[in-house]
Amino acid sequence: MSWTVHVPILTIAVPLLGAFALPLMAKVHRRLRDLWLVGVGAFTVAMIVTLAVQVFTGGVQVYTLGAEAADATLGPEGFPIRIMLVVDAMSAFMALIAALLGGAALVYALGFVEEGKGKTLSMSLFLLLWAGMLGLKLTGDMFNFFVFFEITTVAACGLIGFRAWESRSPEAAFKTLVMYILGGLLVLLAVGVLYGQYGALNMAFLSSQIQGGALDRIALGLLLGGLLMKAGAVPMHMWAPDAYGEADANTAIVLVANTQAALYGLFRMVFTMYGGASTPAVGWLVTALGALTILVAVLMAVIQTDLGRLIAYGAVSQIGFMLLAAGVGLATLATRPEFGRVALQGGVFHMFNDAACIGLLLLCAGAVRRAAGTGDLRSLGGLAHTEVWTSGFFLLGALALAGIPPLNGFASKLMIYQSSFRLSPILTALAVLASILLLAVFVRAFQGAFLGPRRNLEGGQPISPAMLAGMAVLAVVVIAFGLVPDLVVRHMVAPAADALWTGRDVYLAAVLGG
Amino acid sequence: MNLLTGEGFWSPLVWLALAVAVTALTWWFRSKGRQDYKKGTEQATPFLSGEPMPEGVHVGGQHLYWGFVEALRPFVERIRAFHTGVVVDYVTWLVVMLAVVFLVVMLS
Repeated sequence: MSWTVHVPILTIAVPLLGAFALPLMAKVHRRLRDLWLVGVGAFTVAMIVTLAVQVFTGGVQVYTLGAEAADATLGPEGFPIRIMLVVDAMSAFMALIAALLGGAALVYALGFVEEGKGKTLSMSLFLLLWAGMLGLKLTGDMFNFFVFFEITTVAACGLIGFRAWESRSPEAAFKTLVMYILGGLLVLLAVGVLYGQYGALNMAFLSSQIQGGALDRIALGLLLGGLLMKAGAVPMHMWAPDAYGEADANTAIVLVANTQAALYGLFRMVFTMYGGASTPAVGWLVTALGALTILVAVLMAVIQTDLGRLIAYGAVSQIGFMLLAAGVGLATLATRPEFGRVALQGGVFHMFNDAACIGLLLLCAGAVRRAAGTGDLRSLGGLAHTEVWTSGFFLLGALALAGIPPLNGFASKLMIYQSSFRLSPILTALAVLASILLLAVFVRAFQGAFLGPRRNLEGGQPISPAMLAGMAVLAVVVIAFGLVPDLVVRHMVAPAADALWTGRDVYLAAVLGG
Repeated sequence: MNLLTGEGFWSPLVWLALAVAVTALTWWFRSKGRQDYKKGTEQATPFLSGEPMPEGVHVGGQHLYWGFVEALRPFVERIRAFHTGVVVDYVTWLVVMLAVVFLVVMLS
């Protein structure tokens, strides 16, 4: 048996083991801890890339824990009872997003998180959050979906509240914890309803059984409530600016990936598990929430004076674009599938693009705080004189986020605009208007923080090469994905979107056979 | 190398070629303009509505698009009123939305 069979479980196990072993390494020596951290990070990224290559070239990969063979999905009675990882193109695509943001965050953190301020525990929680996100994206059963949901909750809230000595972080962590716990309870309740109904937790098996009855719909409602909240859909988004704004930059970008993991869960539930039973009304609901999220988040961004919170609202608005695309896909699934498919591709593509440009902006915000000692746009100014690279990265991220060609945000937004136009031109007009507003907001932020004469700001520290390297990784993606969007869509996005759109039968066959 | 977008296509390389051409054209037009600009003279000082500006003044980000932001303010203030920062309100919105989701899911 080739070792590559075990790649799915290694993808989760390595960061999980790395998280718990990190404090032990730190007890021996700081240098050993840093080596361990880099080793775990590099190995995890390598495993994710290997897994993605395997899935994109060879199809769905299944890993059954405790079975004689990794692909022995069914028990003696022909029933999928064991814990299972099921990795299709969508899961692999999401894992790549986690690899990108996790890798960039780790490199950045090496130069950003200071010794003597809980670096060891902070990085342990980071690895735990990374493992939880990856588990959420790769798992094939509902109970472990809930377990990984909770792991991400604990780790994320620990990281948000970490800077207890200098800001309002504990308050933000508490608010996020309350919301995440409630969301988790809704998911657990849905898992209970489905288990009571079908006596099974395997997603593929449940998908084959769900017919859209009353209990199925109750479970769907609970799942939608919990996952939309964790994804940051308006009006359940209010925890997100608090969390992103107060967390360290390297934490905030992993929180973006965590939010997208919830969005992935939503897509997995409505397309794969309820694929045959969800109605266009659910699509319209998701579309309406997407439009509302875009509008409210952008308007709130207009009046922000703190750079971190401004970017946080920008991040929430992008979740709206993804919800809009998924909603259009669901609403047109039966009537106009050719546009629904493009909408879903646009939404999936935008997940990667948003991860790169929002991640870049959040890292830049961290660098600004480090260089100037503050993130208040009323006090900032003239940073471009000294922080040339950070200025360039910020401008790049802002233009990409606003959808300025030829950067990556434009290509995915264009797909969303054109497909949502078929459902309603009002949706497209709203989305375009929001992008223009977003551009104005970020031009203001750039003008406020980076342009103008030099200022002598107290409390500033130099930006380390590791921080610049973390930002550079994301900047390269922003440019590269913008220049060759057709290649990205053909080889990564289309297989991922099709895994949701038409790949339900393949997913079920990989687990249930036949 | 074209990305199909449902209604048409998008080619970043063609866009880049056009952008280079437009930039070159703009530069050519600009080069035909007045040649009497001198660095370091009064010509290089910022102009702000004819008002005298002290050395080192920066028009901060909060002043940019001032009229635009003021025009939006009535809408934004209404939305901001919902963002109380109180966790009980956050939970209330979750409950309200759960009710909406259930209405749609159960009645559709």
